[in-house]
Amino acid sequence: MSPGCDRLRLALGVIAIGLISIAPARAHHSFAPYEPTLQIKLSGVVTEFKWGNPHVYFEIDASDAASGATRHWLIEGASTSILNRAGWKFNLLKPGDKVTVIVSPLRNGEPAALLKQLTLADGRKFSNGAAAGTATIE
Amino acid sequence: MRFKLIVVILTAAAAAGTPAWAQTRAAGRSITGSWEVYPLRGEGFGSGVPPKTPIAAPKPIPAPPLRQPHLDQWRAVQAQNAELTRKGLPPPSSGMACMPEGMPGMMGATFPMEILETPGQVTIIEEAYNQVRRIFLNATALAPEEAEPRYAGHSTGRWDGTTLVVNTVGVKESVRFRNVPHSARMRITERIRLINDEMLENQVTVDDPEYLTEPWTWTWMYKRWPTYRIEEYVCEDNRYFEDPTLRYQRLRVN
Repeated sequence: MSPGCDRLRLALGVIAIGLISIAPARAHHSFAPYEPTLQIKLSGVVTEFKWGNPHVYFEIDASDAASGATRHWLIEGASTSILNRAGWKFNLLKPGDKVTVIVSPLRNGEPAALLKQLTLADGRKFSNGAAAGTATIE
Repeated sequence: MRFKLIVVILTAAAAAGTPAWAQTRAAGRSITGSWEVYPLRGEGFGSGVPPKTPIAAPKPIPAPPLRQPHLDQWRAVQAQNAELTRKGLPPPSSGMACMPEGMPGMMGATFPMEILETPGQVTIIEEAYNQVRRIFLNATALAPEEAEPRYAGHSTGRWDGTTLVVNTVGVKESVRFRNVPHSARMRITERIRLINDEMLENQVTVDDPEYLTEPWTWTWMYKRWPTYRIEEYVCEDNRYFEDPTLRYQRLRVN
């Protein structure tokens, strides 16, 4: 097989991968209920941490960094295996921990949000796995 | 003469003592181990390690060759679901209810899977929903009407050289892959083979005389992930539920 043919096959492969990547995520549910681009930063105290599937959740009493308003929030994480691969652990959080999160809130205004980045009091940062997207604000 | 006779007897004894699986799979590397779907999803589900040898991704799964009026109904549902999702109101799904995907969807390997070759059987364990398939080798396939409806159906297989050919019947009619309806007469044929040491190909063919005008075929590929240990995935509490009036997936906030 000629090098030209190899290059063509590689190019076709790259195109095919591109086409697949624009397809919706095949996780068991979509992240569509959350704001697609809006991200906010919340700082607060963990009140509950539920490590389980299909999703890990934690709750915080938090103040909005921009408005200063205090509210109780439900934060959605990925599955346990995705978070394990992202460096989390089943006992990473406990009630009383101070955390800062960058999240995309629900579009319908209810106080729940999809996690983009978790920062612990000691400064360590954790993603929510690539499927949930990355933080676009500081 | 006596030596020849001994050789013949020993050869026959060796053949008789060989387990069935060794007789049936031609020489080559075992497919036992952990696998992730390929191309690697840029979504955090995989190892993030590309194959050693660049390899073209399989073509996207084509639209199902459904009979009418099922094809028009399917297109309408797909368009409606896409529109609802765009508005942030995703439609209910089996995953929302924590139900397993079943066949053939489970072989899409949303999360990694483990394949185990043992004498007389190949077992496939999907991390997603802890789903398990048992493929009985050289066993008599059930007639579809005799197969108790199950999520994973009933699978029998045989080695055609180094290709594992699997026949599956008896998939519950409530199981939907890509929202495509099927009958109790659906038959799934898979041809699973190693392309090289680290890449596995699965050519899937779905036949259904009641719903399809012709076989629906596509290819899935998997990449070996030798260091991965499959994790537990019990779907115990999905906080998403079907909104009773608007019929979309809604998050239980409190």
